[in-house]
Amino acid sequence: MSSLLVLLAPEIVLFITTCIVMIVGLWPKLEVRSLAMPIAGMGLLIAGVLAINTPANPESILPNIIPYAKAMTAGVGLLLVLLLAGTVDRSYEAAVERGELRFNPIHTNRAEFFAFFLFSLTGLMLCASATDLIWLFLALELVSLPTYVMATISTRKLRSQEAGVKYFFLGALGAAIFLYGFALLYGGTGTTNLIGIRDALAEQAASGGINPIAMAGIILSLIGISFKIAAVPMHFYTADVYQGAAAPVSAMLAFVPKTAGFIAMMGILAAVGWQYAPGGETLAADGVGTLPRSIYVTLAAIAVLTMTVGNVLALLQRSIKRLLAYSSIAHTGYMLVALIAGPSIAAEAGITSNGLGAVLFYLLVYGVTNIGTFAVVACLERPQPDGEADELDDLEDLRGLCRTRPVLGWVMVICALGLLGLPPLLGFWAKFLLFTSAISAGEIALVVILGLNSAIAAFYYLKLVTLPLLEEPEGDAPATTPFASRTFAGVLSAALVLLAIIPTGIVDAAMEAADRAGTIVPANIEAIERSITAEALRDEPTPIIDR
Amino acid sequence: MLHPLTTLASQPNVALDQYLPLAVIIVGAVGFAVANIVLTKIIGPSRRGANKGMSYESGMNPVGTARKRFNVRFYLIAMVFLVFDVEIIFLYPWATTFPNLDPANPDAGIWLFRIFFFLFTTIVAYVYGFRKGVFNFD
Amino acid sequence: MSESILHVLILLPIATAAFIVARPAGEAKTVALWGSLISLVLGVVAAFQFDWSNAGAMQPEVSLVPWLPALGLSISVGADGVSMMLVLLTLLLGPICVAASFSSIKHRVKTYYAWLTVLQAAMVGVFVARDILLFYVCFEFTLIPMFVLISIYGSSNRKAAATKFFLYTFTGSILALAGLIYVIWFNATRMPVEAFAGAGEWSFQIDTLRQAAVRMSPTEQGWVFAAMLLGFAVKVPLFPVHTWLPLAHTEAPTAGSVILAGVLLKLGTYGLYRFAIPFTPIAAVDFAPFIGLLAVIGIVFAGLICWVQDDVKKLVAYSSVSHLGFCVLGLFALNTMGQSGSVMYMINHGLSTGALFLLIGMVYERYHTRSMRELGGLAAKMPVWSFFMVFFVMASAGLPGLNGFISEFMCLMGTFQASDTLAGSSIGATPGVLGPVFAILAGTGVVIGAMYLLMMTGKMVWGPLREPKGHDHHNHSELADDLNAREIAVLTPLAVLCLVLGLFPTPVLKGIEAPVNDTVRWVQEHGGLRLYRDPAPARVTELSPAGVVTPELAAPAAGGER
Repeated sequence: MSSLLVLLAPEIVLFITTCIVMIVGLWPKLEVRSLAMPIAGMGLLIAGVLAINTPANPESILPNIIPYAKAMTAGVGLLLVLLLAGTVDRSYEAAVERGELRFNPIHTNRAEFFAFFLFSLTGLMLCASATDLIWLFLALELVSLPTYVMATISTRKLRSQEAGVKYFFLGALGAAIFLYGFALLYGGTGTTNLIGIRDALAEQAASGGINPIAMAGIILSLIGISFKIAAVPMHFYTADVYQGAAAPVSAMLAFVPKTAGFIAMMGILAAVGWQYAPGGETLAADGVGTLPRSIYVTLAAIAVLTMTVGNVLALLQRSIKRLLAYSSIAHTGYMLVALIAGPSIAAEAGITSNGLGAVLFYLLVYGVTNIGTFAVVACLERPQPDGEADELDDLEDLRGLCRTRPVLGWVMVICALGLLGLPPLLGFWAKFLLFTSAISAGEIALVVILGLNSAIAAFYYLKLVTLPLLEEPEGDAPATTPFASRTFAGVLSAALVLLAIIPTGIVDAAMEAADRAGTIVPANIEAIERSITAEALRDEPTPIIDR
Repeated sequence: MLHPLTTLASQPNVALDQYLPLAVIIVGAVGFAVANIVLTKIIGPSRRGANKGMSYESGMNPVGTARKRFNVRFYLIAMVFLVFDVEIIFLYPWATTFPNLDPANPDAGIWLFRIFFFLFTTIVAYVYGFRKGVFNFD
Repeated sequence: MSESILHVLILLPIATAAFIVARPAGEAKTVALWGSLISLVLGVVAAFQFDWSNAGAMQPEVSLVPWLPALGLSISVGADGVSMMLVLLTLLLGPICVAASFSSIKHRVKTYYAWLTVLQAAMVGVFVARDILLFYVCFEFTLIPMFVLISIYGSSNRKAAATKFFLYTFTGSILALAGLIYVIWFNATRMPVEAFAGAGEWSFQIDTLRQAAVRMSPTEQGWVFAAMLLGFAVKVPLFPVHTWLPLAHTEAPTAGSVILAGVLLKLGTYGLYRFAIPFTPIAAVDFAPFIGLLAVIGIVFAGLICWVQDDVKKLVAYSSVSHLGFCVLGLFALNTMGQSGSVMYMINHGLSTGALFLLIGMVYERYHTRSMRELGGLAAKMPVWSFFMVFFVMASAGLPGLNGFISEFMCLMGTFQASDTLAGSSIGATPGVLGPVFAILAGTGVVIGAMYLLMMTGKMVWGPLREPKGHDHHNHSELADDLNAREIAVLTPLAVLCLVLGLFPTPVLKGIEAPVNDTVRWVQEHGGLRLYRDPAPARVTELSPAGVVTPELAAPAAGGER
């Protein structure tokens, strides 16, 4: 019990920070309530430090994932906190400062905004510690529910409310689907514990194939979770929601639910295991194989459609946020390829062939890079008479940005090239690991599709590069937000994208995090052996037994 | 010990006859509902008319529209009530495990911590509500 | 040759670029010129340190600087004779490009020179990489500077041109990366550790991976070869993926065109030479006729297009497509004659076509047109320019005595010999799959090339003077009527080299012979190439310049564990 508390220490810290932020953010004194954001940052920092030192959890299906996943959450969370500054209550606080209004907490959103942000991150961390389906479900919902509210209150405009409602209803649909999947999975295996499910599934696979109910449960769960990661059958909300919400919130939506969804998918797939004979539903003889055929086909179809749809639709966009939304869909597709490849459990596999590690690393790189691009959108604005500023969201607004606003312009250029995966930027190494892991797993066709899609993506990322870098500016320099921390977040992420030397340690950490996930457990080995002996016995002539 | 469903699950080809009682209940429930509606339609007397169609058949005439705006604070109060009400419900199961707090029990501290943590969240919610001004009804 | 000098050659341009950015715009061109001159001097020093008697071996022998230990990655550099030559070409074109841009680049000067020097670092990096990822990183990174140079400093349609250039190359190279990673994976997982040094490890060393790659089954080799071909053929460019080149050339600024024609196209042929052919020899042999066909189509087709061009820069651009066709043909002859001719061609084409682009840029600066309908008889007004023009056209057309001739001849000769057809005759035959038909078809390309180049010279240089209507160049340009001292200084080294290489190519040929011989021997051994028709196998050794043909060649060594 107490060991569990140690494992959950980062979550507990975040939760307590949430409680403090919730109350501090409502304080009548401006100096005190402005502390909400720094306190949130401090909490994340402490949680991150605690996370790095968290021990492995042998009871988890992904035993080593906790330190990496939680530290990643805290790290990207820190960047997001910087970006979220000043998103809500801007005109209200201005009016209070001018003395036009008396401060009334019921009309403000600051406390809730940061508290919900931290709640969502807590949920993400809980996803990484989940050992049980029910826990996983609650964690996933804890990730999503606050984001619905955050999207809605992020601006005072109608589009945000529309975005929030859309997001909520489709999110509820997704949650219903994967909850149903979880229920079926329980029905098919008799337990909600992920390790128990793994053993039960191995047992079933060894004795004639996975129970169809359990299989249906797994597939439904994957499809339901594809809402969280913005994969194709459930991607419809993405562009509208990202566009409707304020840019800082969109940046968060592109990272937090996606990461939670991928970690959940990893957990479920690790319970299934990548040890089935290719193209079949039975265990491979040496225990080294791929996913069962039906899951494989489902995921491969989702991956291919996600990449292609995301990239093709991104080509057509005029709005930066919509473009980034579709690119986010495409990146989901790339990561799915490595997820299908799985952790290479072959004995001779090297560090570069672990697909789960590749996904974990990619998530971090994508999160950081994406924050850079959204930070630029968040920093540019068109002042409005009511004090709320409108974001500059059209591609044309980037024209000549490197000359008018050099810092923002270069952040956009570097991060767009990073998303494209151009060497030697950080994004290249992330994509490189996807390639190596997928090739190691023999997914040549998927790799070729991935490569072609990266090439399509070059089309629209080039727009994000050429417009600021090469075009001449038109008219005056665009206005920027007064929130320096947003620019700082952008500069920080661009700097990280440039520092291709850094990944050494992080790649190691990511690979270690994915280590031993989905490896053959003793129970499975026994099951496999039993099935082999059963096979052998069947071939022998039936012995005459004296009853 | 294996869960009973596990044995079912490990025999994928066995028919779902263990679910039979469940099916019977479902069929029974649906049948009962459908039968009631159908029987009322068939057997029950049905008269129509202006008076019969009024909201209050007893003779009181409805006045004004039924759609009325409530003060939003009613909802706030209702929600605050719901939250605290539900939290109190959670205190009952904890009370049944009171013997765990025996000082001889090595885990007593954790049992105490749990409920304090829970109460802490309740207090935070209360302070939040208070600060937010949901208790001001002006 | 020390390892550090190669590192310096990569890092110095980057430092120069940083310095350019830090200093005021007025100093940019001076800094860039000095930086590139120092690089050139260092390059010459490296060439002197290089042990030419052992040009076939990578020098220095061992080179490892840890880079990303997590991935088992290190930066390892080195050069053999071929790499060294191409590095020297790159370094030579550096100061020439900088000096050629002095008068034509007027706005955003710092950006221009900074990217130009960074581009040089990337190109040197490609040629000295001994590590697949360093190669790939530099190969891809060349896109960005070139993209910027074309799309800021090009002419009217520059953005479309730059985008097309980027997308074509990026698409190809992503697939090439997939092919290369497959080889890396194959080496790590399918090779028994005892097979050779580095087997069974996640190694990125080109030497190690070459050992592993040839052990792949023919089917695997076919796919890997196809992937690499897609990547490199776009860069070469080989018909039918050449369409980005004329556009990019016409829109690029002069120095951009020079770099593009002089070095960037060679990245493609170098990739074929260094990776595609030695990694997958069986597939290279199988595909050679097909690629030879594409090359011949490119030679003839692009030549015919040149004939009807009005824009003189476009003409030279298409002539590059045609010339690089010879280069590819020579590579896939898979014999020493063809391949050394091809490497020679890379250098010569860089010199002469680079110079042609410079000359056209000089005219364009004065008249602001490149149309042959508006320009003519310039010999009367610009005698020095005309002298250089005629000289480089001759070099490009392959006039004996100038550099183009020797390489073109070697490519064609290599192609001619590369089959069994002439086994036993006095011309000789080498193991190969092309042969006289390819050589004769490509030979028509030589004739076509001479025709369109002479036609262009005739229109531009001789005849009555024609200038664009209403032209009074003193309104447009502060440049003198004829070439000024700077322009002459830019052209002279190229002209001298063209002449020297034409008259006395032996030192260069010797330098590239050893590495090419190694490659050819390697391909013959592992690609199962031998003469089939020859009744007396003993004679093969005499006939084939490549030399070694051993009896057990037919069976590729110890492949196909899968």
